[in-house]
Amino acid sequence: MGEPFDISYVFEYLVKLLPTLKVTLLIVVSSIVIGLGVGFIVALPQLYKIPILRRLSQVYLSFFRGTPILIQLFLFYYGLPEILKLVNVDVAKLPALYFVILTYALHSGAYLAEMIRAAVGAVDRGQVEAAYSVGMTGFQAFTRIVLPQAMAISIPVFSNLVIANLKDTSLAFSLGIMELTGKSQTLAVMSRHFVETYISLALIYFVISFGLEKLFHLIEKKLLRHERRLAAEDKEPRLHKGKTKRFRFIAGPGFGRGGRENEA
Amino acid sequence: MIQLTQIKKSFGRNEVLKGIDLTVKKGEVVAILGPSGSGKTTLLRCLNYLEKPNDGQITIDDFTVNCKRPDKKDIHTLRQKSAMVFQQYNLFKHKTAVENVMEGLVIVKKLPKDEARKKSAELLEKVGLGNKLDAYPSELSGGQQQRVGIARALALNPEVILFDEPTSALDPELVGEVLSVIRKIAKEGITMIIVTHEMGFAQDVANHVVFMDGGVIVEEGKPNEIFNYPKEERTKQFLKRITPEGVYSI
Amino acid sequence: MKLDFAFIWTAFLQLLTAIPTALAITAVSVLCGLVIGTAVAIVRLYKIPVLYQIAASYVTFIRGTPMLTHLLLIYFGLPIIVDGIAEALGLSFRSVSIPMIGFAYLSFSITAGAYMSEVVRSGLLAVNRGQIEAAYSIGMTTSQAMRRIILPQAFSASLPNLSNMIIGMLHGSTLAFTVSVVEINAKAQIVATTNWKFFEAYLAAAIIFWGLTFIIERLTALAEKRFNLYNRGGVS
Repeated sequence: MGEPFDISYVFEYLVKLLPTLKVTLLIVVSSIVIGLGVGFIVALPQLYKIPILRRLSQVYLSFFRGTPILIQLFLFYYGLPEILKLVNVDVAKLPALYFVILTYALHSGAYLAEMIRAAVGAVDRGQVEAAYSVGMTGFQAFTRIVLPQAMAISIPVFSNLVIANLKDTSLAFSLGIMELTGKSQTLAVMSRHFVETYISLALIYFVISFGLEKLFHLIEKKLLRHERRLAAEDKEPRLHKGKTKRFRFIAGPGFGRGGRENEA
Repeated sequence: MIQLTQIKKSFGRNEVLKGIDLTVKKGEVVAILGPSGSGKTTLLRCLNYLEKPNDGQITIDDFTVNCKRPDKKDIHTLRQKSAMVFQQYNLFKHKTAVENVMEGLVIVKKLPKDEARKKSAELLEKVGLGNKLDAYPSELSGGQQQRVGIARALALNPEVILFDEPTSALDPELVGEVLSVIRKIAKEGITMIIVTHEMGFAQDVANHVVFMDGGVIVEEGKPNEIFNYPKEERTKQFLKRITPEGVYSI
Repeated sequence: MKLDFAFIWTAFLQLLTAIPTALAITAVSVLCGLVIGTAVAIVRLYKIPVLYQIAASYVTFIRGTPMLTHLLLIYFGLPIIVDGIAEALGLSFRSVSIPMIGFAYLSFSITAGAYMSEVVRSGLLAVNRGQIEAAYSIGMTTSQAMRRIILPQAFSASLPNLSNMIIGMLHGSTLAFTVSVVEINAKAQIVATTNWKFFEAYLAAAIIFWGLTFIIERLTALAEKRFNLYNRGGVS
């Protein structure tokens, strides 16, 4: 099928692949940033139990977690231009990269919304009451007391989501994006050194996700310095019924901090 | 008859049992008292081999295990000769009260199911839970759970039942119901070893009392001797501190 | 935009024929993954020397890399190994005779195994230590305690994770198109290219996945009700 295996190519391709890492990271960073915004918007109706909007956000969550990211990619790539044509916006000429970023943002947004909801829910009710008792407004209580605590709680989940997003970007090649995987496929086909190329590819992903994991771990430690025992408690098996099931899998106990269900 | 010879147990560098010798006669009810950290619970758990002693010898009913290098099969045999009632009840969470009692009969004693069920129902009746056969542990109060635990231990007809602080996890108002069940079965001549903090209960139900401290047996004897005429200074100190509390009369 | 509803229906019907393939990939990878994952979890829980390090690196590597790279590595790497061995042993078997879907089965099982080991591990850890002590105290052997007490409780504790795993592998089955297996995604592409109605075809595919995911979630909820009966609470 290909040329005979030669380990020396692994290093060579590593160097050739590295420049496309910035495309991969561009997709990850921009989709996570947009996704956080989306996540907040989707989580709010659930947190404040706003009647109709709450239903809508449930449908949103259900759709983005109920269909494969690959299908979502194609759906938006082919579907969005047609829908926007209705309102006389022509995006047919827009580079595929925009569609990719949008899809990943909407996809991650669903999981981020769950993360936000769970994290806010996990902050002790007494904390808010204490904030009110010292005369804070609702907004102050949220930004000064709830949010910082919720952020610390959600770091492990966030870490998993970012790494999952990174791994998911390997599918962007299917729309012709020249990120890591896309580039590796061209390289492989041209040189016919398939295995060597894909080993380099896997190595790059591995190093990045490993690095991200360690980085988030450090941040978590920093944010949790006020509460040493919290991290330990989080490891306690708490695998019982609840509405945030999918979320549990991501955050779940014993899952370490590096990945979520493997959608890609 | 149960005989413990030179039982030693360390956790890391911490020697918890420093060579315990103890003999329990058939039908005897032995209460083990002592401050926390004295090794009394560890001793009990060693008897059921939930902790592996580092050294010594355990004999229950002519069956001896050498703790220096025990055989897996020997441990299994030894365990079948004793049954444990836990501080935290440890009922099987996914099984109903009657299933908890049946489990050992069906799986270990290989009794047919319907027979096991009948026997289990009788035992639950005996501990006052005849109307709770199909309740799950999560639906029972602590006292009720502990009574199921006692029925589970009784079902196996062991040579000895080991009670590890059976009432210390219970709310005060539930202690009485469990103690009265233990008292009831004590009268039937079953050999029991009870680790407890309930002094009044120990004095009343036990016919032999062992006082432990710092990993050794300080003093043992008849309840009357230990409670009213203790010889050792440590025993006196301990009793002075603890007696006014926890006296239950039923 | 003229959304061709009739074509969505046509595509939907055609895509239905690809469901068995998708489900087969899901089932094989989840079941094999469960076997691998259980083995790995036990090795890690009991800290068996050497195997422990291998298991840990396996899990770390798989979870640190995309599922797609596993598939590509197996697809291109396995034939080299298989043919090499076959040649050395003088066998006439060659990797060409391995069906395409075989690569997907193998690769996805390896992926699933790593994630499944975490599911199994957390399930086992969720069982209270007192439960196994109680089992020993009534004279059960380790294997009896495992079968009768630990595994049933671990299983019901892991149900939500298992469900996510199954959904993850179902969604992951779409990657099999890269090795020319005609699952739902590949089928959607084929259906779409026949008359260039991509949006409609993928809409149909999305509906199918959404439906399948919904069914898996419902079934899990039912199973949870059935197996978690004992958790219904009450006085404690």
